[in-house]
Amino acid sequence: MRFENMTDAIGNTPLVRIDPAVHGLRNIDLYAKMELLNPFGSLKDRAAWNMARPLLTQAVERGDTVVELSSGNTAKALAVIAGMHGLTFKSVTNRMKVAEIKDLLLLLGAEIDELPGQAECLDPTDTDDPLTRMYHRLAGSGDGYLHTDQYFNELNVDAHLNGTGPEIVKDLDGRAPDYFIACVGTAGSSTGVAAALRQHNPDVSVVGLVAHKSDFIPGIRTIDEVHEVGLFDPGVYDTVETITADDAIDGLLTLVRRCGTLAGPTGGGAYQGAVRHLRAIDAQLTERHTAVFIVCDRVESYMSYLRERRPELFGRPPRRNSLRTVTDADVRQAATMDVAEAERWIAERRGLVVDLRSPFAYQALHIDGSINIVDELFAELLHGGLPFGHRQPVLLVCPVGEKSARYAALLTRMGHPDVRSLDGGIIAWRDAGAELVRD
Amino acid sequence: MPLYLSPRIGPTLQSALDETVLMAQLSDALGSPLGVILPQQLTANVAAFRSVFSDHRLSGQIYYAHKANRSSALVRELAATDAGIDVASLAELQHALGAGFVPQRVMATGPKNEEFLWLCARTGVTVSADSVGELAALATLVTDWSLPRVRVMARLSGFTSAGVQFNSRRSRFGVSAAAVSEVLDVIEKRADALDLVGVAFHLDTIGLPEKAVALEGCLGALDECRRRGLRPWSVDIGGGFGVDYLADGAQWEQYTSALTEAVLGRRAPLTWTGHGYGLRAEGAHVRGSLNLYPAHRPVSGPAYLDRLLRTASPEQRRPLGTLLLDNMYDLHVEPGRALLDQCGLVLASVLEVRDEANGDTIVRLDCNARDVSLEEHGVLMDPVVVHRTTPAAPGPVGVYLFGNLCLEADLITRRKVFLPSRPCAGDLLAFVNTAGYLMDFSATQALRQPIGRKVALYRDDGAWRWCLDEQYWPVHHRAEAP
Repeated sequence: MRFENMTDAIGNTPLVRIDPAVHGLRNIDLYAKMELLNPFGSLKDRAAWNMARPLLTQAVERGDTVVELSSGNTAKALAVIAGMHGLTFKSVTNRMKVAEIKDLLLLLGAEIDELPGQAECLDPTDTDDPLTRMYHRLAGSGDGYLHTDQYFNELNVDAHLNGTGPEIVKDLDGRAPDYFIACVGTAGSSTGVAAALRQHNPDVSVVGLVAHKSDFIPGIRTIDEVHEVGLFDPGVYDTVETITADDAIDGLLTLVRRCGTLAGPTGGGAYQGAVRHLRAIDAQLTERHTAVFIVCDRVESYMSYLRERRPELFGRPPRRNSLRTVTDADVRQAATMDVAEAERWIAERRGLVVDLRSPFAYQALHIDGSINIVDELFAELLHGGLPFGHRQPVLLVCPVGEKSARYAALLTRMGHPDVRSLDGGIIAWRDAGAELVRD
Repeated sequence: MPLYLSPRIGPTLQSALDETVLMAQLSDALGSPLGVILPQQLTANVAAFRSVFSDHRLSGQIYYAHKANRSSALVRELAATDAGIDVASLAELQHALGAGFVPQRVMATGPKNEEFLWLCARTGVTVSADSVGELAALATLVTDWSLPRVRVMARLSGFTSAGVQFNSRRSRFGVSAAAVSEVLDVIEKRADALDLVGVAFHLDTIGLPEKAVALEGCLGALDECRRRGLRPWSVDIGGGFGVDYLADGAQWEQYTSALTEAVLGRRAPLTWTGHGYGLRAEGAHVRGSLNLYPAHRPVSGPAYLDRLLRTASPEQRRPLGTLLLDNMYDLHVEPGRALLDQCGLVLASVLEVRDEANGDTIVRLDCNARDVSLEEHGVLMDPVVVHRTTPAAPGPVGVYLFGNLCLEADLITRRKVFLPSRPCAGDLLAFVNTAGYLMDFSATQALRQPIGRKVALYRDDGAWRWCLDEQYWPVHHRAEAP
């Protein structure tokens, strides 16, 4: 395959059969449309390219900024496409929740504008939500923006009506599947694919999956939020069912561990929702049926999301000399020094003073002659062993003398014979009127 | 299916509500509406905030935002604790001083006239200054009247962030963080009159990331102070910690989903004249956003403060609480609503219950929307029915609550309220947990309707006792010696 541009590689993704031993359905062949294999990593590459392409020539002439309301894959794809054409991209979001996506967007050179949070003191006369204000701003500023408007742009649906949908039919030897299961985000893919499939078989059963209301699943909207989506038409779906973040992660784990498919939570949710929906039907079937779901994107961008919700999946062996292994009894044994004694000790240059506070705080004010190793760095050093010799006396300093006592206890256990903690910390030092300097 | 929004009621408030005979007597004697204050609950709320401070090893003060309720009982009870008070008017300052607050425990905030500034300076309370002009005016007062140096905080706003742009609503208060050097110039020039003790911000948002940006911005401003040789030691992060009003988060979710469907016309209206609380239908889609207080807020009050202190600062990537401690800064907070959680209720008597021809049921109350300002503050929460006698017709009923003003708009709430049993004339509705902003915050004598009286209800000697709010002091006179 030889291409002129990466955008030529968008689409034509494989349709892969899921091993029945994994899903356990006896009468239904379950296929996954592998949208994660698109060049920028997701299903949204299709919509982003379809929406942006007709406007690019003019936008390049004018030097417009591409702008979209997205905190995920559409933003990623548009940022790449904008970059390929020498344009800047701005993402406006209502709280970007996935750290990796945010970092990736910044890496791609995108600007990220976060809308303000909800007001605590309500002004009932203020009926404009931040989103409406953004639309006004884009409309009011006239030139300068290429707004792709994914939630209302029919070209989003077209990308799937003419691409994703027909590809599925072609790969099923010209037949539409009996069931199509899709998560609802912008509703673009589910609406477009459903329309394409129904052209071949009006009886295709379409299941829309939305997130449980109190849950957050990246790329899926909740039952209330879908009503805000311009492309959402409840008539498209034979049923709309709810999935939880737990369902999505369970499905993700099945796909990544058993199916060779490195799917993100949306794909996981689609799998789990599909199997749950189909299991009830499967028992009553007497002939073979086919079902298709979409694997929207890849798992790698959701590590922080998974770590937060399933920390046990990331269990690692404990590292040596960890502060967490220090007991309260150890801390009580740790040697301390009060402010008056410390002033003498320091004046006589008896040893090394290590300030464990943040560099910013240290630089603002510190004890003259002390060095700064912020606690998290100090902890990291200690995993490797003592960072100074046994004959080097040490005084540890932190804000209130609590952390420094824990570190003193740890260093003592590591075999250091002369380490002490400043009692009451630098706050006691300040309150006693002892000298603090700034370089 | 009744769509309840049941209020969260703590044990103290529940115990007061259980005194149905007392409630009825109070209402009969003192009229409707009647504000009932539970001052002692405030002490427990202060302690809950204190424990967050001690968990983070932070020093500093909890300043109760007086504007949340004009009650004397609350202010006097608070004077007996170790908390401070945030006053935003001349009368609030007089009230606080008269209740027993020494000036060291008082912070003056908000827009100030010359009289207010003068009394601040004369008594020596800390002034949280809103602008460079205010600082200059204060310095002039100090000189003209030969007053001692005044402790001042500089209120900042308009913080900026690197990388991701966190947008905040524009505030009418405070000096732009970018212009902090102008503030410090005045402070340095008038060092004889002004003693800078810290910087402050208050953002009207429930969003943590914006507050993290602002707090880190304050650290930057304080660093600028230190560079100039000034030694302020505190950061005031204002309030906005919030209250969780509802007992059951699932009810909130069901209700808001149902409201969306009602706005789209897919179910019968849930509100008077189809009001959408900020949502509107355009074609088959919902536009706008729900313009309501998030009544279900599991992380609120002290827990919200804890969450904020555990949030990593955007630039230094260290928890904000740790950064404050590293820098030896005191943390000041100004909660209003959160400190008054579970501290009171409003009793309103039912004048009439009638069924309209279209099927609606109307409950007309002897109070108006200004007496229980749930609607003004966007808080959706059901009242509790206090029956005089066992209800004749048990079973839920959906009603509209009409007020006592001769105005079309005077509904206590535009929402259809579902009650577990039908009230009748003479019964009381208790609007619970309304002490913070929802009691008589904007009560008026429009139409010469009276502003409700207020009583303090307190536990003494194992029983509930009461007195008029202005009669309450934390020292309780026992009826007889034990």
